[in-house]
Amino acid sequence: MKLMRTPKKVDIDITNRCNLRCRYCYHFESAGDADGDGDLPAEEWLRFFGELNRCAVTEVTLAGGEPFLRGDLREIIRGVVENRMRFAILTNGTLITDEMAAFLASTKRCNYVQVSIDGSVPESHDAMRGRGSFARALQGLQALRRNGVRAAVRVTIHRKNVHDLEGIARFLLEDIGLGSFGTNSAGAMGLCRKNAEMVQLTVEDRILAMETLLRLSKQYNGRIQAMAGPLAEARTWLDMEDARLEGRPPMPDRGALTGCGCYRSSLSVRADGVITPCTMLSQIELGRINRDDLATLWREHGLLNALRERGHIPLSRFPFCEGCDYVPYCTGNCPGLSYTLAGEVNHPSPDACLRKFLAEGGRLPDRALLC
Amino acid sequence: MDVKKPIANPLIVLREEFDDWAILFDPDTGNAFGLNPTGVFIWKLLDGRHNPDDIVNRLREEADNVPEDAGEHARRFIASLEQQGLVGYEIEQGPGAGTGVRG
Ligand code: SF4
Ligand code: SF4
Repeated sequence: MKLMRTPKKVDIDITNRCNLRCRYCYHFESAGDADGDGDLPAEEWLRFFGELNRCAVTEVTLAGGEPFLRGDLREIIRGVVENRMRFAILTNGTLITDEMAAFLASTKRCNYVQVSIDGSVPESHDAMRGRGSFARALQGLQALRRNGVRAAVRVTIHRKNVHDLEGIARFLLEDIGLGSFGTNSAGAMGLCRKNAEMVQLTVEDRILAMETLLRLSKQYNGRIQAMAGPLAEARTWLDMEDARLEGRPPMPDRGALTGCGCYRSSLSVRADGVITPCTMLSQIELGRINRDDLATLWREHGLLNALRERGHIPLSRFPFCEGCDYVPYCTGNCPGLSYTLAGEVNHPSPDACLRKFLAEGGRLPDRALLC
Repeated sequence: MDVKKPIANPLIVLREEFDDWAILFDPDTGNAFGLNPTGVFIWKLLDGRHNPDDIVNRLREEADNVPEDAGEHARRFIASLEQQGLVGYEIEQGPGAGTGVRG
């Protein structure tokens, strides 16, 4: 597959600090939790944005930690704008004021601000994010909407809110009136791994979440979305199961480690300025901003090119997949989770393994629930 | 004779992708426009120093089999870029004038 000359998008942790300590945060206690000597000064980021401009990068995602903790966030955003890029921000929402939202709107370059809301009532949200965070996140969300900034809400599903999914959908889509929202589930990285017993969905929870989300997605005409987590898994797994039952020919781009190709179009930078292939692969250090030439690193770095070749490794090569009927329809999924759970990037992710889920007592939802 | 010398809007990002194809990205709107290799060649000459005839002449120097009506095509292409706010013209204000971009 041909490679773009430069990345299109760069995900940047502009701070390693956060005002919360959510129990399932994948940032803290992962390799991405890279403090160095504290936050890099704005000048370092502005210099880097100059390079991104020369590389014709069109979008940055500013994350952390909590980006709105930076007192010089406006200066950083002005640097994005001056360097001909658009931006998105990932936030817990609790620090967004009307003034800040008005500033974001005034730049006309904000693609969206993603705010995490995990409940329909404070209890289910605050259980994992800390007391008072629900009310403050809602205030932040409303400030964005009042000022015309596109707000994208992300719901992370965990043990304490999996029984509240109907309430969450009603709250976000009907009471608040969002056009849509996205879902994910607490993964297996960072703090989430440490608090797994308290946070991670059990097999029973996963069955419940898949069924409920498919039903709600249908009920609300597709206004509930997912790139990962139970809703995405339900759709992918039902498709894989249908393919197996019908004995379909192998699917294109399946049957090998093809899961996620973000390092073909984007790169990430940790809060300490270290460049990595992706925030989920923040242990792979490719270089440093303002020291290594980004375009050269993008094209020539051995580790990056090795990742891009991952898609040629057949699943049939792994003892983990031996004898599995889903091989021709499976992608092996996220390499970041593979690394965390299996200790290797070049391995299928056990977390997203359909055979394993079924062997542990999992059940696929009724396909009549599909949109 | 058309002596207007088009100049690319400096805000627009040229992202060269594969095989000399590219996109023009307008960060203010988020819109992207695809360019074929000839479009990329022309875009790079929209520097306020070449009029469309100069550009076609350069194209003929660089490429074989440039069709007879290439000049007309180039003019139409530049006009469409202008319509979309991707190209403007230098304001002629006599010797020593500034270089504001309009269009
Ligand atoms: S999930 Fe976000 S808000 Fe929560 S601790 Fe991690 S960085 Fe902070
Ligand atoms: S064992 Fe799991 S990861 Fe491997 S092919 Fe089967 S479903 Fe996919």
